[in-house]
Amino acid sequence: MYDLIQSADKIGAEYLRDESRSTGHAEYAVFAKNEEDVLNALRFANEKDLNVTVQGGRTGLAGAAVPYGGLILNLSQMDRITGMELQDGKYILYAQPGVVLLKLRKMIASRKLDTGLFDESSLGIYNRFFTDKEQFFPTDPTETSATVGGMAACNASGARSYRYGAMRRHVSSVRMFLMDGRCVNVKRGEAFANGLKASLPCTDGSSVDFTLPSYKMPEVKNASGYYAAPDMDLIDLLIGSDGTLGVIVELGLILDPLPEAVWGSACLFEREKDALSFVDKVRGEKNIASLEYFDKGALEILRQQKANGSAFASLPDVPKRIESIVYAELHCRDEEEALGSLLRIGEIAELAGGNEKDTWVARNQSDLDGLMFFRHAVPESVNMNIDKLRKTQPSLTKMGTDMSVPDDKLFDVMEMYRRDIEKTGVRSAIWGHIGNNHLHVNLLPSSTEEAGRVKEMFKEWAKSVTSMGGAVSAEHGVGKLKASFLEIMYGPEHIEEMRSLKRTFDPEWKLGCGNLFSKGEEEKA
Amino acid sequence: MNIIVCVKQVPSSNEVRLDPVRKTIIRDSSKAVANPFDVTAVEAAVQIREKHGGTVTALSMGIPATEKLLRDEIARGADKAVLLTDRVFAGADTLATSYTLAKAVNTLGGADLILCGKMATDGDTAQIGPELSAWLDVPCVTDVIEIKETDDRHIVCVRNTDAGTETVKVELPAVITVVKNLTIPRLPSIAGIRKSLDAEVRLVKAAELGADPSRIGLDGSPTQVIRTFPQEKKGEAVKIEADKAAAAVMELWEEL
Repeated sequence: MYDLIQSADKIGAEYLRDESRSTGHAEYAVFAKNEEDVLNALRFANEKDLNVTVQGGRTGLAGAAVPYGGLILNLSQMDRITGMELQDGKYILYAQPGVVLLKLRKMIASRKLDTGLFDESSLGIYNRFFTDKEQFFPTDPTETSATVGGMAACNASGARSYRYGAMRRHVSSVRMFLMDGRCVNVKRGEAFANGLKASLPCTDGSSVDFTLPSYKMPEVKNASGYYAAPDMDLIDLLIGSDGTLGVIVELGLILDPLPEAVWGSACLFEREKDALSFVDKVRGEKNIASLEYFDKGALEILRQQKANGSAFASLPDVPKRIESIVYAELHCRDEEEALGSLLRIGEIAELAGGNEKDTWVARNQSDLDGLMFFRHAVPESVNMNIDKLRKTQPSLTKMGTDMSVPDDKLFDVMEMYRRDIEKTGVRSAIWGHIGNNHLHVNLLPSSTEEAGRVKEMFKEWAKSVTSMGGAVSAEHGVGKLKASFLEIMYGPEHIEEMRSLKRTFDPEWKLGCGNLFSKGEEEKA
Repeated sequence: MNIIVCVKQVPSSNEVRLDPVRKTIIRDSSKAVANPFDVTAVEAAVQIREKHGGTVTALSMGIPATEKLLRDEIARGADKAVLLTDRVFAGADTLATSYTLAKAVNTLGGADLILCGKMATDGDTAQIGPELSAWLDVPCVTDVIEIKETDDRHIVCVRNTDAGTETVKVELPAVITVVKNLTIPRLPSIAGIRKSLDAEVRLVKAAELGADPSRIGLDGSPTQVIRTFPQEKKGEAVKIEADKAAAAVMELWEEL
């Protein structure tokens, strides 16, 4: 029964880490291939009194998949599509948690699905899907080796969530095992809270009864802590629960029809304030699917990479006089509509102090790929810089934020970032989802002393962003690394409410230990 | 300098699908793009014009929908565009195509320099540039990886050869064909796109070229495509575990 469970020493050290570059420790590991393996692993953990840390692609940036002792439950080999449905005109793909985003995209684009596990009804839907309009899955985190299970666990988003919202909106069902082996199979629209009181039915006829936390979530892009609101659909609690409530074993993924015209346009500005004013004015344009930002620090890093003649040599030249770039992706009904939007974007850029000549437009896949390469080259280059620094100072890590604020606070938050970064004197690069006022501010400290100053600065920012009505984590999730920020955002009482909710799902406190919040007083004792 | 760049419409590379019955390439014009080699050629021409002045004309032969791609080349910096479009051009192989293009170059009053992509991503023949130079009786430099300098009467380029590279100075007018990474083509700007919307794309029919009807289209094409088919699937790979390699190789040897 426990054949698959092995000593953690036998697996690679990479399973003790994730993309956050923090490292944990574990005694056992299991690579589950099916639901039975998951149940066996949970049984084993209960017998041996072990913590359980669930892993997918380990691409998270907040350390949620990094084990703090106990058993690693890796789901990357549960990577099959199990069926298909058509609900309200939308295709639903049932996916195991280990399905990798890149593979999912390829399957959808090529319409080649592994139908080995499909029943008759799914096969019928597949036949229709095969000849229907082209579809896509809208959630687009930068790291395409992410798994759908991990994406649901942290409610991932990406550039296009400006238009399509985060992962939560594209999940129609969650099948989850609780630590005691019970199964929750919840479909959107079927289980709601009554005020803050909730009862989630299990497949064995029992239920999990709990009270939702009473905080009011900020009205911004948010992946901080449990999703909680009066009368909410309870599926939304499971999505974004960061591996603390149960183990996701299947997800219903909602596909969208691919827009006929997908165009990209980058507007280059000589002054950051013009770029911000452009963002402020362009938000009204309805066809924008993503609105991304690159500041002078990010552009400078790219210029250096390009000059080094590396793999980035094919990046377009950004003239020295350019300080900021705002990239907008347009998703339109047809090319005529896209052209209308594009020309309006040009007018808005000029109104904001830019110039239509200082723009890059992609109207076919190859040009779009070029702009996508540009977008991805920024975080890639910053990581390369950090890795270089770590060779001489191994204790240094990437220090980046994931905070969002309401629309009317964009100028304020940027002013705060600029002022404080200047004070620390540390090199920085800012990029990210400016449409949601959600910028990743990345600092590149060159000493542990500088890193300490940055840490303090981030803590202050968490307070300020909270007071602006923002969120401390907009898309990466809180994981382990941002647990202290969550406490700043919601305060100790609401953290306690989250703790007691977790206890109803996981009374022995075994799942995702260290994620979102610590166990509390007992643990400290 | 008066520069003409030849541009071909090709299927978007990841969209090539074969009709399962007719075994021909399914051409979906909404997924068509300009041959990437030709896009580089346009950029190279625009860079020469930026240094020396003159005009860049994008020239294509194709269905009326090709006009959209030519406007895109104007958005990327070409000054004007000419589209040779006529039913009688249909079915042309490279010989008939190059003849028609040569006629067009003469009809347009000739050019100081003609740039082509080295080849097109759909046919892969790499014949148009050399054939065009033969029809026009001007020198041709193929496989150009760098344009070193140009003046009113010459162009100096570096080209790939089987043995390495070669630097060539030729008198103008001349035809040169360029590799895809000769330079990084710029993306169109919104200003460029705005300009391209109002720009004139001149549509030219066979009669206007004074072409010999027996040399154009299907009639002028000695090459006939008999069959197009997907590559046959080769045998399956055999996976051999490292520690059992020696025994497995012997076993395979016996089998063969």
